Amino acid sequence: MRDERRWIDRFVETAARQLAQRTSRRSFITRLGSALVGSTLPLLPVARAADDSRVPPPDDSALKGDAGDPKSCDYWRHCAIDGFLCSCCGGSQNACPPGTEMSPVTWIGTCRHPGDGKDYIISYNDCCGQSLCLRCRCTRTEGEKPIYFTSKNNDLLWCFGTKSRAVNCSVAVVLGVATKS
Amino acid sequence: MPRTAAVLVVVAAASLAAADVGGPALDYALNCQGCHRADGAATPGSVPALAGSVGKFLRVPGGREFLVRVPGVAQAPLDDTALAAVLNWMLDRFGRDDVPKGVVPYTAEEVNQLRRRPLTDVAGARRQLVEALERTK
Repeated sequence: MRDERRWIDRFVETAARQLAQRTSRRSFITRLGSALVGSTLPLLPVARAADDSRVPPPDDSALKGDAGDPKSCDYWRHCAIDGFLCSCCGGSQNACPPGTEMSPVTWIGTCRHPGDGKDYIISYNDCCGQSLCLRCRCTRTEGEKPIYFTSKNNDLLWCFGTKSRAVNCSVAVVLGVATKS
Repeated sequence: MPRTAAVLVVVAAASLAAADVGGPALDYALNCQGCHRADGAATPGSVPALAGSVGKFLRVPGGREFLVRVPGVAQAPLDDTALAAVLNWMLDRFGRDDVPKGVVPYTAEEVNQLRRRPLTDVAGARRQLVEALERTK
């Protein structure tokens, strides 16, 4: 048993040392890890859009300036957002902050990705259950319609089907690519 | 290690391809899905279900007309052709097991006529249809 532990220890130590010698802190692995944890894959047990059609978002790494910054009102996905950005409130552009619940009822529009020029379907789900976040307040109105057209108006609070109607912040989840055909 | 990295790159790249959505599926996503969800499920207390429900309306008199005259459909910012396509898409996706045999698809002309007659008592009309459905059981 003891010999077996020593073998495992030697193996792990050797592998770790080789890995450390061949890679740097700025290596590909670091960047890949950041991408995975950041937004690409749903790894954490937090509220996300409960939606079978939801797909991974396009690559934002090549975008420069605010168009690629999820904490900016000018982030490309925020073309029709009205509210506080969950990216500034303990969540992300895809996930609600801890302690809040994502509303299954939402309003949906499209935003053009400045990198590939495609129009993406964006769902602006509100995160509900805590008072207003009050950080990163944004008001953009592409595709929005007046209040008498309620299903396309983003002035409304969209906490429906949630335990609480108190809205905290809004996410901007990519559902797919809008095509003409 | 490089081999592992290559595998991870392939996995990550594959996961970055967003699904294309067009035609009636796109119109549904942009005009209906916000409330009715991608799978047509209900939001209790707020939004009734489409899945397992919408097709049953075609079993009773007035149900076919109701599905077009209900405000969310009649007032959707879609032309008659696109609206008929979305209705037929919804019936196929959410009501395939419920629609009676021999039902013909909605046409643009039919939708054009029906959406000109908005419902003044939506809840009452729906209640009558649900009661009629109950009597057919």
